[in-house]
Amino acid sequence: MARKLALLVAALVAVASPATALWPQPRNITTGSTALRLSPGFTISLSSIDGAPEDLVQAVTRTESYIKTDKLGRLVVGRGSSDVAAYSRAKTLSQLTLSLSHGAKVQSITTEAQKPLEERDEAYTLTVPSDGSAAKLTASSTLGLFHGLTTFGQLWYENDGTIYTMTTPVDIEDSPAYPYRGFMLDTARNFFPVSDILRTLDAMSWVKINTFHWHVVDSQSFPLEVPGFTDLAAKGAYDPTMVYTSADVQNIVAYAGARGIDVMVEIDTPGHTAVISQAHPEFVACAQATPWSTFANEPPAGQLRFADPSVTQYTTELLHAVAEMFPGTMLSTGGDELNTNCYDADAETQSLLKSTGRTLEEALDVFVQAEQKTLASVGKTPVVWEEMVLVQNVTLSSDTLVLVWISSDDVKAVAQKGFKVIHAASNFFYLDCGGGGWVGDNPQGNSWCDPFKTWQLGYTFDPLANLTTDEAKLVMGGQHLLWTEQSGPENLDPIVWPRAASSAELFWSGAGGNVTSALPRLHDVSFRMRQRGVNSINLQPLWCALRPDACDLNA
Amino acid sequence: MRQHIALIALLGGIPVALGIWPIPRSLETGTSALKLAPDFTIELNVHNPPADLSAAVSRSANYIKTDKLEQLVVGRGASNSSAVSRAPQLKSLTLSLEPGSTVHSIMDEAIKEIGTRSEEYKLDVPASGESATLTANSTLGLLRGLTTFEQLWYDLSGDTYTIQAPISVIDTPAYPFRGFMLDTARNFFNVSDIKRTLDAMSWVKISQFHWHVVDSQSFPLQIPGFMEVSQKGAYSSSMVYTPEDVQDIVQYAGERGIDVMVEIDIPGHTSVFSESHPDFVACAEASPWATFASEPPAGQLRFASATVKNFTAGLLTEVAKMFPSSIMSTGGDELNTECYAQDPETQATLKETGQDLQQALSVFMQAAQGALQTQGKTPAVWEEMVLDNNVTLSNDTVVLVWISSMDAAAVAAKNFRIVHAPSDYFYLDCGAGEWVGDDPEANSWCDPFKTWQKSYTFDPLANLTEAQTSLVLGGEQLLWTEQSSPANLDPIVWPRAASSAEVFWTGATLPGGEPRNGTEALPRLHDVAFRMAQRGIRAIPLQPLWCALRPGKCNVDS
Repeated sequence: MARKLALLVAALVAVASPATALWPQPRNITTGSTALRLSPGFTISLSSIDGAPEDLVQAVTRTESYIKTDKLGRLVVGRGSSDVAAYSRAKTLSQLTLSLSHGAKVQSITTEAQKPLEERDEAYTLTVPSDGSAAKLTASSTLGLFHGLTTFGQLWYENDGTIYTMTTPVDIEDSPAYPYRGFMLDTARNFFPVSDILRTLDAMSWVKINTFHWHVVDSQSFPLEVPGFTDLAAKGAYDPTMVYTSADVQNIVAYAGARGIDVMVEIDTPGHTAVISQAHPEFVACAQATPWSTFANEPPAGQLRFADPSVTQYTTELLHAVAEMFPGTMLSTGGDELNTNCYDADAETQSLLKSTGRTLEEALDVFVQAEQKTLASVGKTPVVWEEMVLVQNVTLSSDTLVLVWISSDDVKAVAQKGFKVIHAASNFFYLDCGGGGWVGDNPQGNSWCDPFKTWQLGYTFDPLANLTTDEAKLVMGGQHLLWTEQSGPENLDPIVWPRAASSAELFWSGAGGNVTSALPRLHDVSFRMRQRGVNSINLQPLWCALRPDACDLNA
Repeated sequence: MRQHIALIALLGGIPVALGIWPIPRSLETGTSALKLAPDFTIELNVHNPPADLSAAVSRSANYIKTDKLEQLVVGRGASNSSAVSRAPQLKSLTLSLEPGSTVHSIMDEAIKEIGTRSEEYKLDVPASGESATLTANSTLGLLRGLTTFEQLWYDLSGDTYTIQAPISVIDTPAYPFRGFMLDTARNFFNVSDIKRTLDAMSWVKISQFHWHVVDSQSFPLQIPGFMEVSQKGAYSSSMVYTPEDVQDIVQYAGERGIDVMVEIDIPGHTSVFSESHPDFVACAEASPWATFASEPPAGQLRFASATVKNFTAGLLTEVAKMFPSSIMSTGGDELNTECYAQDPETQATLKETGQDLQQALSVFMQAAQGALQTQGKTPAVWEEMVLDNNVTLSNDTVVLVWISSMDAAAVAAKNFRIVHAPSDYFYLDCGAGEWVGDDPEANSWCDPFKTWQKSYTFDPLANLTEAQTSLVLGGEQLLWTEQSSPANLDPIVWPRAASSAEVFWTGATLPGGEPRNGTEALPRLHDVAFRMAQRGIRAIPLQPLWCALRPGKCNVDS
């Protein structure tokens, strides 16, 4: 009777979520209901790949290590003790073999990950037979192999020292719906040590996020040490210890690349630049002017005097130097929340405009074109926030990628102008919203973008809403974002995870996912992240996590 | 340079008590620099000092050395360097009890009946370098004073200093019950998480740990004589609190001036009893859960049954023995009547005894309260036991008002003592989205997020008559843990829970007589968060560091 019950429970769970743990859900997957154990001598073989790159070798080693050390009990009542009968009779898997498809050129994961968006090849095929014969992972790039390894790592549970799955045979053919799947971190409002960024990159890679949008500097602080421009960090970092050196950047970029992640750095200009006044007071209008709310969206006020040719030249040289630090093909020059009061009240800007006979918009156009020209000269695709397209009248290069943040309703207008879109809508993807106002002397102040953006909300986002078929082709993907007015290393993990995984699946698996069937898998993501040292939060009481659907609204 | 300091003081609001939280009732500070001598010691001028007082002194001495918190100003205090280098050195702090005081352990003082505890203290730190003095009527008062003393100091290149000497503090709390509630049943927390939280609580003079230890989801508490309940009802055999764990927690709390009020929530919120005693629970895991309970899983004690009543009284008696506190809660929230209406066993029992459900509940509650009284406990209940149910409660019952702050007046009208725990001010879990599944749109039932600013504006005496004000024992912030676990305990609680700690210690006015207000409080609350971070608590930043270092600059109208 006990056994019958166990079977019934297992069957119910299997129906609720056939591929229990995979996140993002592969595009094509079939699974069986046969148990399979990992052999104690299990290995991942690269022998069929001549001259396997070092980062692939390391990815294999990491995967082998995760599989051994995850020790994740299956999220069912009894944590897998009811699986003993099935897996103790099961075949054992001794090997996973990796191979590249015929004629594929062997390049490092890093090289593949840093290619232009459209050229990345992330597809892979994974088969895990039930009979113990070798599992096979094939792809036409090392990046595809890397993603396949990530999937393979999510198949396994542990009970009493046995590592097993209940769902073989597994057949997966997978490739992402969108090439850009990102996460943005702001390291300027509050600082994050390199170790926090590396840990976050790890977690990102586990859900196949492929772009780290690094909002590295802002009006509050300038932690980035830029060769030739080190005075900016020397005067503008919060503290001499709160900087990213060139070596740190190199470390972060390499760490990301080895995990299939491209780093898109953002130097937000010409607004959000008060901090540059610390080293170059003459470059910044309305620096720390009060009341700040007249001159900026948040304190401190301060924006580059872009009408000044010497500021334009300085900025382009700075961007050039930053571009050389980052091998990725995308670089963002920001461009959000430009405040015109600041320039109206700035005598220097007004006299420059007068002497050149330009309007502010015309001067901005000159400035932005100079920026974009610089990026183009070093082979970068420019990225901007939506205002540069929708609010300002500036000429942008046609390959410019536009981050839509103010509202998801603005996507249509950007697409109508023919620009490529990255979804970053505050009304779906801002992780900081709903945590209360941070501006002082404001007792009733709630967050400007209330309410909290739940994982459910992010998950149900439609990337193609209101778009024509042609416009839909402009959608490159999207991302969750963490602005850090109220975040630091203290709450980085819990505010990001597992929520940011919801957009990772949306943009890998495509829209139309269902929160009800996603929840048990998202629990798995969260529990596995914790096993790997990321402080991802519980989405429900453990009672619910162990009983898929028992805590649904109408259960 | 001095002028610069004065300017900062002005921006931060008055008075210049940069780091003290909760702010003392009476506080005078100067503008002289004073630093600790390298061989600074805390001297205990107390005859036969109890071990927990000696340990508290050691902890204080250690915090003062290891905090290494730099002042939250631009330059992190570098502008103080010439003043600090010339400053007199403080060689010692001397602790003594007022003449005639009896020497008890801090723990014994902390677990006394609410209203009889002596937490007041007097602290003087002269500017001259002469010995600082801390006096109190009890060891508990000395602990509070030590906590204040620790908050006076900043680090600058290895010097531990203040720029506000002389400092004179006369302090006593406005309310005796300053609590924090943690739910360890929705998700489990390790003993180490609880201890770390107790440490943080003690740093802001929270006096009461309300331990919502069990609920419908799990029963982690091992109770001698009732071991089957946790054996079957804990999430796992490792997710339990053994009697030794409880003793450890109670002792750890007591040494830090914190009393532990345990809650065994009955007769609702008890689905988990069905694991070990299926006969005792009506509508256990019945579905749809929404018909039978406020959240899954459904299940409530069959309180009309004499067997269940006796079992419950016996269990409460054993729990009471595990906790030395004089106060213990029997919960009593969210009782669902549909559960009993559809329960044939309950209906048969009621028919047999000729009681209605309310009468049976009254009998049950009297038995529960009787069990507590026999063990010398003051009973605590959630507000529904007073406002929704027609049961006879003992006059000394303490009532936790949670549904809405508006309900406090109704409880007071019935002449019960009140602990403020309103969801509209103090629920730390609100505003983070729905945890119930299959509900794409839904947000948290108690949206929005309760900001520290909101909690800080809570008025404990709102809508009460002068005569009723004495019924207010204090209040607490609460963490229900449907979406919390060790992974986010610190950041969801701190520094927010410090806001009620000051509301209920300091009362309505600042030492200078001005109304207490969030604008003055913010720089000090930054200090709380930063000092907690130095001590290993993951308290969150409330603003960009740029703002934290420039008091007043990020205000809405700055």
